[in-house]
Amino acid sequence: MQQRRDEILAKKAKLAELKRQREIRTQATASRQSIGVTSDLISPTPGRTDRREIEAIINSVLGESRPVSVSTGANSPARRGSRPNSVLSAGELSNETSEYATPANGHVVPSPQPPQILSTVTLSTVYECPPSPIKEVFSYSKGVQTTEEWTTPSRPRAFSESDNDEPITPKSSKRLSRRERDREEELRENIRKEIEEELRAAKELVTDGVLKPSAAANFPARTLNSEELRAVTQSDDFMDFIDRSTKVIEKALDQEYDILTDYTLQVHDIDDDDEQHGNTGGKGRRKVKELAQFYDERWSKKRMISSINFSPKFPELLLASYTKNPTAPHDPDGIVQVWNTHLHDRPEFVFHAQSDILTAKFSPFHPNLIVGGAYSGQVLLWDTRARSAPVQKTPLTGSGHTHPVYCVDIVGTQNANNIISCSTDGAVCGWSVDMLAQPQESLTLQAPIPAKNEDLSPTCMAFPTADPTFFLVGSEEGTIFPCHRYDRAGAKAGVDQRVNYKGHAAPVMSVHFHPSHGHVDLGDLVLSSSLDWSVKLWKVRAPAATSTVGPGLSAVGGEATVTPILDFVREDVVYDAAWSPVKPGVFSLVDGAGWLELWDITVETEEPLARISPSARKDGRTMLSKSLNRVAWEPAEGKRLATGGIDGALTMFEVGPDLGGKEGLKNEDWITVRKLVSRAEAGENGLGVF
Amino acid sequence: MSDPVVGNGTDALDETLGRLSKKPGVKATLVLDRSSGAILKTSGQVSSIRKAKQLGSPLPAQPGASFAADPAAGASGQDQGAEELASMVWNFIATAGSLVQELDTEDEVKLLRLRTKKQELVIVPDAKYLLIVVHDTPPA
Repeated sequence: MQQRRDEILAKKAKLAELKRQREIRTQATASRQSIGVTSDLISPTPGRTDRREIEAIINSVLGESRPVSVSTGANSPARRGSRPNSVLSAGELSNETSEYATPANGHVVPSPQPPQILSTVTLSTVYECPPSPIKEVFSYSKGVQTTEEWTTPSRPRAFSESDNDEPITPKSSKRLSRRERDREEELRENIRKEIEEELRAAKELVTDGVLKPSAAANFPARTLNSEELRAVTQSDDFMDFIDRSTKVIEKALDQEYDILTDYTLQVHDIDDDDEQHGNTGGKGRRKVKELAQFYDERWSKKRMISSINFSPKFPELLLASYTKNPTAPHDPDGIVQVWNTHLHDRPEFVFHAQSDILTAKFSPFHPNLIVGGAYSGQVLLWDTRARSAPVQKTPLTGSGHTHPVYCVDIVGTQNANNIISCSTDGAVCGWSVDMLAQPQESLTLQAPIPAKNEDLSPTCMAFPTADPTFFLVGSEEGTIFPCHRYDRAGAKAGVDQRVNYKGHAAPVMSVHFHPSHGHVDLGDLVLSSSLDWSVKLWKVRAPAATSTVGPGLSAVGGEATVTPILDFVREDVVYDAAWSPVKPGVFSLVDGAGWLELWDITVETEEPLARISPSARKDGRTMLSKSLNRVAWEPAEGKRLATGGIDGALTMFEVGPDLGGKEGLKNEDWITVRKLVSRAEAGENGLGVF
Repeated sequence: MSDPVVGNGTDALDETLGRLSKKPGVKATLVLDRSSGAILKTSGQVSSIRKAKQLGSPLPAQPGASFAADPAAGASGQDQGAEELASMVWNFIATAGSLVQELDTEDEVKLLRLRTKKQELVIVPDAKYLLIVVHDTPPA
């Protein structure tokens, strides 16, 4: 015991000296290494050196008294190994004297205590700090090269050397470390040079990379180069890229507003294109102005537009379906082009089909999907994320349509919707959007009994906004028939036998339910256009109430015939008529003479408020090319509409605030329309004239 | 849409690029390879874009310009102009790309519009290719 106490005292004395020396040394090292080395790198270092030195000293002191502490003897050879630090030596230290257990923080409190108790607690701190064994295998990479980083690897190397050399006295190690630091500096300098060289080389490589083609473009490498070029430029990747990037650039170039315009600089005569400029029709607030014409040399040529539809999701997108180009037998017969109002010269997408597309429509429930009906009787589904071929189409078998499909619609709700298609033989099919192999439901429309023959050939179809099970079809003979998709009380699925809407004397070209977004329901108003040079306004009986024969119905053989409540007689065949999506009394029509007319029944029922004809294309035919087939409104704002016809050009118009747009909408407008309708009904029934 | 039915792909390509370069104001178009900077397609008056530097004074940072001074390349001033423009744009894109990378490593450049007093460069960088269009800006 006495011996032990002596030892401890001796150690304490040594320790005090050590501490003093270390303080001196830390000052010295701090001043020496201050440049370029961050403090957090420095701080653990002296601690570790100290520890090692302390160990060395203690060992030298305790040399004779080995037998006392068994663990020291066992561990000391391991400490002498190349691994510079920590685990074993720390354990050893703590076994002998607890005060060494916290050497890293540099404040050693010498107090003679029973050693074994405290040792384990403080061990962990020592253990955690040394990063050196990992850093030693550090390898350079250009990417992460920084000054701070690459000083560290050299450090542990130096220590391990010093450890192996002679860790006897602090003085010698101090000298040693100075020498090592010099060497370190040298190494560092070398590495820095190396890296700089590397960087320079890399940079040269890069510039070479750019300019290599310039060398290759010269005569010797010419042939090879052109081959390579061809290989690259014909790759699908490249095509894709060109397709996408040119679209972006054309949109960028088509952007008319110049964001850099400086209005303080100079006064340019900004054309006041209110009256004279461009193609306009109507006056003042009822103006109609042509905005743009979409025509693609490649795809629109010699085709007719068979339908137009605005995207319900993206107001700038609209589609047009086209019939075949008789002069290009190798091109697909039917196409659908999706145009972007910001991209005038080319379509955003082109979709193909093997047969003329007679109608096409964006799915209101999925912005990427487009459905179409073809002359072959197929119903097709395209996806804007896919290529131009349809992603799905119905088979050409007896289960679907075998006659041209002139009308398709998507009805239902977001989660349960069906494609409804109708062909000219009277077949109506319901399809699931996911599966076009087989119709979910099918129905054959037949003319009511007293008809001369029971064939009914629908030319157009319309669903009311409220009811997806009821629809109207316009027929070739001129009558409009109400139809049910399913059996219901008092009526079987198919044509409702009890009611028909007679009035047109020629094929009906369109039927359109009022969109009715106001607080008065106008959803029972239907507009129909016909080749008999007229547009007619109908009030449709509610499908459930058709059994009761009300006023205005003349019962003929158990069948009620409804007559139109308003008749708009035009000067040419009318191909299409459509309600404005926002203004309750406004509708537009297009006729065979090429006129787009805008009407507002709350203002005038005899004359259109405005009419305009699309500007003729420069190289277009002059004869028989003006006729317009279709008109469509942009559904969100109701300010724009598009027309298209025989010459294949899709023309977009913008209407003045009286004819479209949501500003200045009054609830009275709906009431006015309602009153007008009831007045017309009464007049027609009571006086028989209107 | 590059579909087999369209017929010859190169025709469609030329047509697309041709239409682009026929747009009013467009002076030149240039398609480069993103990784190497090799010129894949050019159209328009590429050489006319660099006015001041036409007098045989290559950029100091481009030792490769000396290649173009070879006797063989003497006739192709157009090529030389295109190459110089290509390398400048390529370096510009690389710098812009590194800026974006440093802001957010998961980000990338989608479109560059470089407006100058006289013209505008619209650059669409893609994973593999670059499309550059030089066009006149409307007088403002």
